[in-house]
Amino acid sequence: MEDEKLYEITAYTENQVGLLSSIAGIFTRRSMNIEKLLVYPSRIEGIHKFKILTRSSEKLIQAVVLQIEKKVDVVKAFYEVDDERSCREFDFVSNFLKEREEINK
Amino acid sequence: MKEGQNISGADILLEQIISLGVDTVFGYPGGAIIPVYDKLYDYSDRLRHILVRHEQGAIHAAQGYARVQGRPGFVMVTSGPGATNVITGIADAMIDSTPLVVVAGQVKSDLLGTDAFQETDFIGMTSPISKWSYQIRRPEDIAWAVARAFYIASTGRPGPVVLDFPQDVQRGFAEYHPQVCNFIRSYVAVPEPSDTVLRMAAEMIDTAARPFVVFGQGVILSGAEKELEAFLDKGDIPAGSTLLGLSAVPSANPHLKGMLGMHGNIAPNIMTQNCDLLIAVGMRFDDRVTGNLETYARQARVIHIDIDASEIGKNVPVDLGILGDAKEVLTRLTGLIQGGVRRAWKDEDVKCYEVENSRVIEPEVHPAEGLLNPGEVVAAVAEACGGKAVIVTDVGQNQMLAARYSKFVGSRSFISSGGLGTMGFGLPAAIGAKIGDPGRTVCLFVGDGGLQMTEQELGTMVQEGAGVKIVLLNNNWLGNVRMWQELFFNRRYSFTKMVNPDFGTLAAAYGVDSATVEDRDSLAPAIARMLSDDKPFLLNVHVREETLVLPMIPPGKSVDEILLDRNVFFEYGR
Repeated sequence: MEDEKLYEITAYTENQVGLLSSIAGIFTRRSMNIEKLLVYPSRIEGIHKFKILTRSSEKLIQAVVLQIEKKVDVVKAFYEVDDERSCREFDFVSNFLKEREEINK
Repeated sequence: MKEGQNISGADILLEQIISLGVDTVFGYPGGAIIPVYDKLYDYSDRLRHILVRHEQGAIHAAQGYARVQGRPGFVMVTSGPGATNVITGIADAMIDSTPLVVVAGQVKSDLLGTDAFQETDFIGMTSPISKWSYQIRRPEDIAWAVARAFYIASTGRPGPVVLDFPQDVQRGFAEYHPQVCNFIRSYVAVPEPSDTVLRMAAEMIDTAARPFVVFGQGVILSGAEKELEAFLDKGDIPAGSTLLGLSAVPSANPHLKGMLGMHGNIAPNIMTQNCDLLIAVGMRFDDRVTGNLETYARQARVIHIDIDASEIGKNVPVDLGILGDAKEVLTRLTGLIQGGVRRAWKDEDVKCYEVENSRVIEPEVHPAEGLLNPGEVVAAVAEACGGKAVIVTDVGQNQMLAARYSKFVGSRSFISSGGLGTMGFGLPAAIGAKIGDPGRTVCLFVGDGGLQMTEQELGTMVQEGAGVKIVLLNNNWLGNVRMWQELFFNRRYSFTKMVNPDFGTLAAAYGVDSATVEDRDSLAPAIARMLSDDKPFLLNVHVREETLVLPMIPPGKSVDEILLDRNVFFEYGR
């Protein structure tokens, strides 16, 4: 795959039953893995926030974010390359696991 | 009007849909929707209920109705199998942007999630294939949910909306106040195109030597037919139509170069590859239109006008995306562009047309002898109708030939299952179209395979007195798959030959007049007889078995790699 990176999608949504599976379905359709998913009330009264971490190309992530935003109950959706801090954490943990596996050999 | 009264949930649903202008319900009763049907009995002066023979018929009929009417079709079914039977139509309406509101009964709220009799997770099933799906949980939410459903279904890029309606909510009571919805904070129905972007587009158009417009159903959905013609006139710009864009521009418009895509006309496909600016209006670059994306219009700059942000750049990279309603964008663009004269470019189609006419159209429509060709039948019916009929198709060769050889004088005259390609769509959709526009002749082109997928709706047609003219292009094959097997699978005709009933006897069983035509001389008189009144009619035409629909861009090929016949490719400039 061309230039895959970890992206973090942020979506601000109405608090609507079924929206989680509806958004997850967009990833299922394209056989994309969700690496992390958080859903919680945002600081805006009555609006929820989705944080979705996924590995993707830039072209694909653009299409996915637009399809998320197309949902009637989604207010806005954005994406960014996963921030350096979580990349560091990610690298730290994956390196840690590799080391553990070495020890286990 | 029961405004302000404490009435049942079933009453609220019916009062609310009437307040929103619904007068026709396509449906089928069943256990979980009986409370609404009980109330419907008292509303027969204000609501016409069309009792279909299978729920799939209800939703396709509602699609046909919505497509001629330009407002949402309304469908009502029961839970479980009633609901699952409309799923194909929901998916079809979603991909073809057809406004529908589907209300399905549901088990009582306290049984939800218990695998109760006729319970299915209808919201879960339909959320990927509907514009919005919602379970109504309290009687006091019904009017709000219904108003919201119609607003979502009919605005922006239209689509199907699903309401799941548990039986206890139908039986519950609430004070009824009619609701109107014209705003949802999370949903921008019609984005406003910016002046800057429009000025950039106008400059790109003014500086283009060979601009080409590709337009789709978005023009019809937006009501932008006249605005598109004015735009083409002022810029002197040639145009090609997608399958679902057909009839937006009259067939005789000199700017119109025909249909795009796999079985489209040669000229618009070649012009796509020769233009220096491609202007897409209300279309979504389906793979049947673009062929190989890697080579599609790579020489051209691309402007894409659409109301749906997720379509812009989805398949074809664009130089300029214009987010907005086609009518508004075209009106403003026409004001901004300079008038052009692009005679030489516009006439580039002549060579393409001459080849297509001599190699494909003439042999199909005016064969010297032999069995009837399906395209010949379409052309004869089209001529007899003078372009004024609503043409409905099923899916397959009948659909492509109907699209190629029909003529149109006005909009909303071509109804077909484009994106999903649903066989069995034709007959119920034609019934819905006739009910939605009873003053017009409705001609259905259908194959023997597709007719048998939903032939039970002959009963609906007769019961409702819907005078659909069914033109059965009968070759005893699943013709399109047979064609692919011939061209791409070494003539291995795996399960595509059909042993059919006598369709005349079938029609007679329903009390429908019919004529069976086997030779050229009896075709025109049979068509004249079919069109002589407004009653249902079945014209069973025995056509040549081994038909190819040509020209054809083989799957995965570039749009300028066009088959004229078995192993004969179109060569530009010859």
